[in-house]
Amino acid sequence: MSINDLPVLSALRTKMQWHQERQRVLSENVSNSDTPNFRPRELVEPKFDKTGAPAGSMGPLAMAVTSTSHMTPSGAASSFDQNRNAGFETRPAGNAVNLEEEMMKSANNQMDYAAVTSLYSKSLHLLKTAIGKG
Amino acid sequence: MANDSSDFARSMAIATSGLRAQAGRMRVISENIANADSTASTSGGDPYRRKVPTFSSALDRTLDAQVVTLGKIKPDQSNFRVKYEPSSPAADATGNVKYPNVNSVVEMTDMRDAQRSYEANVNIISATRRMIQRTLDILKS
Repeated sequence: MSINDLPVLSALRTKMQWHQERQRVLSENVSNSDTPNFRPRELVEPKFDKTGAPAGSMGPLAMAVTSTSHMTPSGAASSFDQNRNAGFETRPAGNAVNLEEEMMKSANNQMDYAAVTSLYSKSLHLLKTAIGKG
Repeated sequence: MANDSSDFARSMAIATSGLRAQAGRMRVISENIANADSTASTSGGDPYRRKVPTFSSALDRTLDAQVVTLGKIKPDQSNFRVKYEPSSPAADATGNVKYPNVNSVVEMTDMRDAQRSYEANVNIISATRRMIQRTLDILKS
């Protein structure tokens, strides 16, 4: 078993790739903040099972309840978008990018990435300790 | 630089396309402001016409991402300002002079908007750079 196959490391690596991809999506949103009819995009968060392997194809989108008369599907998330504080607006040109929100997301993404890389180095350090080199 | 190994480089390239587009927009705005009082060189002729930059989103195939490009720079078709100045060399037979359809307040708000978008793109680049730095820090530990 190689080092890369360790569940912890592979989960952290998947998470790092997700942050990398999310940064690309956010940067697309920001650079197109003045393009007519552009709608911002977001990446679905990865889900992991108990062994640390990514479950499903990066987590499918949950069913959304868009009307109060809809029946709630079993096991569905409570709402479509958990972030109730996020603003939403569409300008007359059809552009729906909110720069402040994108900046917040980018900052969050960067901090989460920093946390994951720290965990990764800590895990490597743990391995070094285990083999008596730490 | 386009492939899987460097997603961060792609993020930076996309943000750079935003910087380039906003800089082009700034150039058009400064052209408008600079020509706010340019009259025609012939009497009764049309003066400078305000220019409007357009943006379009294009798929960059080498990056496989939606980058932004500065599209056609279109003329603003609104009416010219007319002033009665019979002594001006640009005056027509009735003594009226046409001035450009540039409104400095509109240009100023446009400029602030361009500046804000530019700063947002710069922020994305610095955030991405910090993330790259974190990746390299793994090697140091």
